[in-house]
Amino acid sequence: MNRSIFTNPYVLTAPAFLLAAFIILWPLFQIGEISLNDVNRFGQLRGFSGLDNFTAVLSDPQFLAACWRTVIWTVGIVAGTILISIPVALILNQDFYGRGIARVIIMLPWAVSLTMTAIVWRWALSGESGMLNSALRGLGLIDENIQWLAQSGTAFPVQIAIGILVSIPFTTTIFLGGLSSIPDDLYEAAQLEGANGWQTFAEITLPLLRPFINIAVVMNTISVFNSFPIIWATTQGGPANSTDILVTYLYKLGFNFGKLGEASALSLLMFALLLFFTVIYVRLAMRGDRA
Amino acid sequence: MKISSKLKRSIVSWLILSPLMIAVLFPFAVMLITALKPATEVLRPTWWPSSFQWQNFITMWSATNFGSALWNSLYVAVLSTALSIVVSIPAAYALSRFRFVGKGFVQQFLLVSQMLSPIVLVIGLFRLLVALKLLDNLNAVVFVYATFNIAFSVWMLQSYFSTIPKDLEEAAWTEGATPWQALRRVFLPLALPAVTVTAIFSFINAWNEFVIALTMLRNQDSYTLPIQVFSLVAGRYTVEWHHVMAAAFTATIPIAIVFAWLQRYLVRGLALGAVK
Repeated sequence: MNRSIFTNPYVLTAPAFLLAAFIILWPLFQIGEISLNDVNRFGQLRGFSGLDNFTAVLSDPQFLAACWRTVIWTVGIVAGTILISIPVALILNQDFYGRGIARVIIMLPWAVSLTMTAIVWRWALSGESGMLNSALRGLGLIDENIQWLAQSGTAFPVQIAIGILVSIPFTTTIFLGGLSSIPDDLYEAAQLEGANGWQTFAEITLPLLRPFINIAVVMNTISVFNSFPIIWATTQGGPANSTDILVTYLYKLGFNFGKLGEASALSLLMFALLLFFTVIYVRLAMRGDRA
Repeated sequence: MKISSKLKRSIVSWLILSPLMIAVLFPFAVMLITALKPATEVLRPTWWPSSFQWQNFITMWSATNFGSALWNSLYVAVLSTALSIVVSIPAAYALSRFRFVGKGFVQQFLLVSQMLSPIVLVIGLFRLLVALKLLDNLNAVVFVYATFNIAFSVWMLQSYFSTIPKDLEEAAWTEGATPWQALRRVFLPLALPAVTVTAIFSFINAWNEFVIALTMLRNQDSYTLPIQVFSLVAGRYTVEWHHVMAAAFTATIPIAIVFAWLQRYLVRGLALGAVK
């Protein structure tokens, strides 16, 4: 075989690997170092402090509240997204008039930056001049303007709803790919056997879609867990920190309050959680490989 | 008979999808209508403006510093896409074609780097750029975006590359082509569709990115579009919403059109990548 740098896998993977290693491992090392030191708000290390930063984070009631909210945020968005995306994908997989347009519309939120989406919703949801309130009043659904984002009771659910809306396109795309991999003769056989629509779905579609659902759950969990712009651009975690999740709390700790040590410790804790998700993902992906 | 059943199915399908579609299209309607309202009517909660102020788009351009932000966004998105594609193609090629010691390690490293979003690393990244004196530098942002796109690009490309038969390059080798010629003449033309889709994905990611730009770009001259628009809204007493919406609309529509045109390719590409 020819000896050439183009057949040497180490040479071929080196640029990607080195770039990723430099820009990911170096900051990770930095975070590790800061988290174990007493550090001032300008980032100067003032000596080893053991696990003080970790205990400070873990005993902060705001951290616990943000943790709990992150669970609601992640589970709410992922579950809502999956539950809506399955029927949407089933419909879009059928042949009907205008399917091309329907697909484009459903996929649209994917193309828009989360920041822009969040800013537009912030305006649409504004209490006095927001167009959602005027639309709902016009339809006779509400009598009084609702301060969607200014009260904690509505702000967080509304943000979760926006999160679901922007996660549907990716998830539906995964499911459409899954549906197209199911051979047609299975459905023909089911029809010959006299199965009804629900039986076909429960006995054929759902089991064969299972690996795609698993992947969609894990990938959505990771991206929703990390999702920053929706909350930051609508409420910045307010009112009174009532919509802070871990990522916004982390950002505030580091860049608004200047508590770099605690923020680094929190980063590492989140990194450990993400690693845990990743292991689950690898397990699922490997199972998909063997099938 | 067959046609009428399809018609029935179409009506049912559209009816079921309509609530979701309204929710999807609502922000676009809000953007466009607000952008076209006269400045005096913006805060009045009416839906329809008394007159359409198309010149809002023109006054927005200078009022929001749109031109410079557009240029910065294009610069960062194009260069970071190019960089991540250039390093990802050989890596994906190696991973799809060769067995080698450490292959598993490289794959796992890429996987972990994909799971790690910039937000978790943001403090370390900030310190990295401060140490290198590259804060507020668009080129530094290019490198960071490219890096965080590598894992995804390699993943997408590798799954496509595995579907291109290895025999083709081996045939070229036996014909006397060097590995480089085989790659350039035989392999890369076949891989071009995959490279294009991956590049567009990277471009959209960079175009829409928020956290890194928010943290690393401190000076208005270096703001990208999302940060520029965000800065018009965050922490201000009076927000010129018609300008903000005009800017958001102008920044969004080109990408949305490209995306609408391409989304059919994504279904196949992503599904292929997801289960590999």
